[in-house]
Order: sequence, then structure tokens, then C-alpha cells
Amino acid sequence: MLELLRFMLKEEFRMHTSYTTKRMFLMFPVMVTLFSLAIALTSERIFLDTPLAQVLLVLHLSVFLYGLSVGAFGFLGRQYQERATGYRNYIVTTPATLPMSFRQTFLGMYLRDAIFYILLLLAPMALGVALSVPWTHFRLTSVALLFLATLLTFLLGMSLSFAISTLYVRSVPAFAAAVAAVSGLFAAAGLLDVVPLESLLPGLGLQYAVPPYAASVPAALGYAGLATLLVLALTAAAVLFVEDRYESKTSRSADTLPTVEARLPLFRSSRVLLAKELVDLKRSGTPVKMLFSFVLPLIFLAFTAWFVRNGLAVPVGFNTVFYGGMVGFFGVSLYNWLNNVDGVDYLASLPLTVPQVIKVKLRAFLILTTWISTLFVVAISWLNQDTRLLWLALPVMFVVSVYMVVVTAYLTGLRTNSFFFNFGIMAKFSVMSMLPDICLTILSFTVDRDLVFSVAGIAVVLVALGVTTWILYRGLEARWGRAEFGE
Amino acid sequence: MVKRYAGATEALKGVDLRVEEGEFFGLFGPNGAGKTSLLKILTGQLQPTAGSATVLGIDTARDPMAVKAAVGIVPEVESPPSYLTSYEYLYFVGRVRKVGSLDARILSWLDFFELDGMRSTLCKDLSKGTRQKLMLAAAFLHEPRVLFLDEPFINLDPIFQRRLKDWLLEYRAKGGTVFMCSHLLAIAEKLADRVAVIHDGRIIASGSLSEVRGQYDDLESAFLHLVGKP
Repeated sequence: MLELLRFMLKEEFRMHTSYTTKRMFLMFPVMVTLFSLAIALTSERIFLDTPLAQVLLVLHLSVFLYGLSVGAFGFLGRQYQERATGYRNYIVTTPATLPMSFRQTFLGMYLRDAIFYILLLLAPMALGVALSVPWTHFRLTSVALLFLATLLTFLLGMSLSFAISTLYVRSVPAFAAAVAAVSGLFAAAGLLDVVPLESLLPGLGLQYAVPPYAASVPAALGYAGLATLLVLALTAAAVLFVEDRYESKTSRSADTLPTVEARLPLFRSSRVLLAKELVDLKRSGTPVKMLFSFVLPLIFLAFTAWFVRNGLAVPVGFNTVFYGGMVGFFGVSLYNWLNNVDGVDYLASLPLTVPQVIKVKLRAFLILTTWISTLFVVAISWLNQDTRLLWLALPVMFVVSVYMVVVTAYLTGLRTNSFFFNFGIMAKFSVMSMLPDICLTILSFTVDRDLVFSVAGIAVVLVALGVTTWILYRGLEARWGRAEFGE
Repeated sequence: MVKRYAGATEALKGVDLRVEEGEFFGLFGPNGAGKTSLLKILTGQLQPTAGSATVLGIDTARDPMAVKAAVGIVPEVESPPSYLTSYEYLYFVGRVRKVGSLDARILSWLDFFELDGMRSTLCKDLSKGTRQKLMLAAAFLHEPRVLFLDEPFINLDPIFQRRLKDWLLEYRAKGGTVFMCSHLLAIAEKLADRVAVIHDGRIIASGSLSEVRGQYDDLESAFLHLVGKP
């Protein structure tokens, strides 16, 4: 197993560096360390406005969500097993031809991703805070505890997602039931307050069991033990859910591509490409995965806001306009899914360019997500009794969605997942996403104080985003015109 | 022509080659000799680091789309899109290439490769041989004047190897040009008018079959001698 893990880690590292350079890739954890150091150095100011408890809650929820997204590779199980050809192949597919089990390689994949992303994100984050110790009030022991607690939360998210996603491959109803159960538990904690949130996120419980909140060693050990137990149980369940022997079944389908194409008269030259994209999505079951990675964060966002406002009784101004902006920012994950449906090597032999295909994916994104985002913003405004701001929130949502996805497409092309680990690209993406995010968040908080100022400010930001979107969209040709198709 | 990849791998170290229209040209070489890189440059999929390539009067680096539109390409790896049916893949290719009378042509190629029974099967569930047939049908669909084939016979059973050979000879007889990379020297020997051997990024022999065979009885012996593995 150790040998397998060693090879898988090498493979993961080489795969990521093959899209960029080793130096640019290794700059990514350096960037995380510097960001973390900067935040730690300014933490005293941050804590004046935002209590530490709230910062820790948001941190743990974010880390948990990140773990959920990393662990979702269980969805790919059958695709890995089916993958027989392609320019690139991965160790995870080797059990098809070697005396190894898929369960073993999937466990290897889980361990590989855990180690890889801990080294890439969590460890640099903790290192950044540790480096601030000489200038801040933090102590090395509390940084170590922070690392341990966030590590447990990350692993919990990862193993939960791993278990649920492998369950999906076995049985869609069982998957739906599991998602409903988890959502129910979080709703019971957040909305009804009948389950303590610390028992669902024991890493957070561990954090609250140590100073400055308490100094209970038994409670801290209890939470750490519970978290470890949950991680082990979920990982074991996930490994058991993996189908070790997979018999390929022949999938047949009616030839619907011409019909779908005929239904898209507005798209002219790209009609058949767009039709293919939609047919691919439907047949690959990707919408379920997209929904999982889009709706779940939105639910968590709504939950966090609700919890901060009602659970912690902190009067924050998360209104409908704020949600409109946030929904737009979450769209990036959906564009990433669009690039993971299937390989595109075969397009190299056709008179098509990478920018053409990117533009088609952007159209598919708009068709697929606009209505979900709209529904979410309308629903959240209704739940928060804040429908009065829908007229402003919906344009914000639409402009930010289009802007974010065009920025992502411009920076990462058809290889979103890999390019996000390139330091240069991540830095550009951070600046291009954070600036409008901060502006819109601040402006959304001023709506009730000075509506005219707020609307004028938001209008200026939206116009700037619209113009940037147009420039980047036009720039796709220059940036990706010479790129090759392929993984 | 020179092709250097990032990381300093030099795949082509100065290739100079001319193929006449209406010719069946065979390119042979050991694994990693530069065959696929050359074919990708000729079909506009890759840019040369130095030098240029012209196909049907089109500079492949300057106007790769025009080259791809004009020629038919069978790539090294058979990888049709996973979630389209056989029929839909050919339909997709035909629509991208703006092929007229598309339905009739698709049905004719499905019939030629005996894929009728699998027309509604998703490509991900097809056997390697069937995928290869589909890639061949996709390359022939628009009746191109030039065909670039990278190992076209691989994965095909002897029945379809024979059928493909006959069709390619007929295609050439009608004026079509074929540029084929292959390791199957015996098949190539029966088809090619002229051949070249590429080794370590350089053309080390080219000419008619008899010129390249030289003193040897067959192409295989000559090839092994030329690449230094007699």
C-alpha cells in the first residue's frame, strides 16, 4: 500500500506540474502561506469587527466544504473503471489489468488526495499563522491545535463526500437519502438547534474546548476522538461501497443529437457543438454532480449566514444583493465540471479551435445554471423576507456569474482544475475575483443606509465587470487560439 | 522542419519531405522516432519550431483550420466521444465539416464497416476495433482529397483489414492521396508507392519501395537494417 501511495503521489505531482512548471506549481503553497501570514498579521483589527468564534466557524465550514469537494472523486469510479483508451491514463485504472483491487487503489487515492491537499493548503495555512507568532498574540500551541482541528474538519468533509459519492455509483436513491440525511442533520443544528453543531463538526468542537473558550482536556480529547472515529468509519464505508468487480454494460440510446440541435436555432454555427455538450451532460449524469457541488455550497452559505445572524446573534447585513453576488462566484465550480465530462482529444482532428469549444461551454453554462441561480436567489430572498431587493440582486447575480465564468475560462481554458494550481493563474484569479467580491459585499451592506449611493456604486461595479467580461471574451481567441486539444 | 517540445525533447531534427498528389505514401519508424509529431504538424495539430509544411497549398502552421477542413485524419488513439452513439458521432463530425446529404453518407459508412447493429450504442461501450472503424468512417465522411492515417489497421480484424486495404487502393486510383504511418510493414508494402523511414527525428531513407528495400528481400529486413537492429 505504501508503495502504491508513493507512486500515486508522484503521479499527482507530475500531472499538476505537466500543465505548468514545477516552480509555478510549488509557488502555490508559498502563496497560501503568505496570504495566511498577511491575514494573521492583521487579525487583531479583524477581531475588532468579527469575533474569533465567528472566524473559526467560517474557517471550519470553508475547510469542510473544501474537503467535500476534494472527496467527490468517488463519482468518477465507474468512469475510471471504464476508461480503456486515451492519451493519458492513471494508476487508479491499473486494477483492470493487474492483480490489484479497485478498493485498494481508491483507498490509495483517498490517502493521496488527503496528503496532497494538506501539503498544498492546510499546512501552508498553518505555517503562515505560525510565522506571525513573533508579531501577534498567537502561540505556537494554539497554531498546532488550529492545524489539528482544521485537519480533522477537512478529513471529515473529504471522507463524507467520498462515502456519499461512491454510494451514488451503487444506488442513486441511497445517495439521495444520504444527502437528505446529512442536510437534515445540519438543518437540525442550524435551524432547530436540536443537534449541537460541534457534534457534526467535531473539529470545531475541539477548537471551542480549548482556550480562549474553555480549557477542558476531556472535552477536547472527546471531540478529537469523535472526529477520528467519524473519518475512519466514513472512509471504511466508502471503500466498501467501491465496486471491486465491475461488469461493463452496453449503454444504448436513441440518436437524439439531431433533435437537440434542431431545438437550438439561436446558436447558428455552434449549434451542433452546443447540442453535443448538452447530450454529453445528460448521458454522463453530470447534472447530479454539478448540483451536488453547486447547491450544497449555496445551502451551506445560507446556513452560515443564518447561524451567524440567529445562532451567534451577530447583526450582519446579508441581504438578497449579497446572495446575488455570492451565487455568481460559486458558478466557477460548474464550469470546472463542464470540462470534466469527457476527453476532447478527438476534436484535434476536426476543423475546430479551443476558443470555439470554450465559447460553447460558456453557453452551456448559461443555459444550465441561470435558472438554478435565479431560483436560489428568489428562494433565499423569500426565506429571509427580503424580496424587495430582488430587482437589484438578480442583475448582480447574472453579471457576476457571467464575469466569473468568463474570467475562469480566459485564465484556465479547458483545463480549469489543473491550472488553478498554477501560482500565476491563481494569483490573477484571486485578484480578479476578490476585488469585485469585496466591493459588492461592502456595497450590499450599505443598501439600507443609503440606497441611492449603494445602487450607484453597484451599477458602476457591474458596468466595469460587464466591460471586463467583454474584453476577456474577445481575448479568448488570442489567448487560446494556438492551444491544442487534449487532457 | 524541426519540432522541439517544451522540456527540450527534439522530436524532429530537420525533416525534408515531399509527397505528390495521388500518391500512397508510407512513413515507418521505431517507437518515438517522430512519426506522430510529423503527422500532427502536417495536419495543423502542432506547430513546427522551425521550418514549414504545406498541404494542398495551405501552410499548416498559418492556417491549421483550412488544413483540417480539407483533409481526413485518423489519429493514433481511437477516442470518439464517450457519450455519443456511433450514428451521433458521425452526425457531429458531418455537421462540423458541413457535409451535404449527411444521413445517406452516415448510413453508407455504417454499412461499410458493418456498424448498423451498433449505431445506437454509446461510444464508451464500443470495443477498440469498433472505435477504430468509427474513427476511420469519421475521417472518410467528407470525401477528402488527402488522408492522414496513423496506424489505421490497428485493432481491425483481418476481414476489415482487407476491406480497408481495398478501399484505400480504390481511393488512390480515383486520385486521392494517402499519408500513412504504420508499424505493419507487410500491409504497407502492398499499398505504398513510396516510403520513408524516420529514425530519431530524421528521415534516414526515402524513395520507391524497391529503392528503400535495396538489397533486402522485404521491407522489414531493410527497415531493421536501416534503424541499426538487423
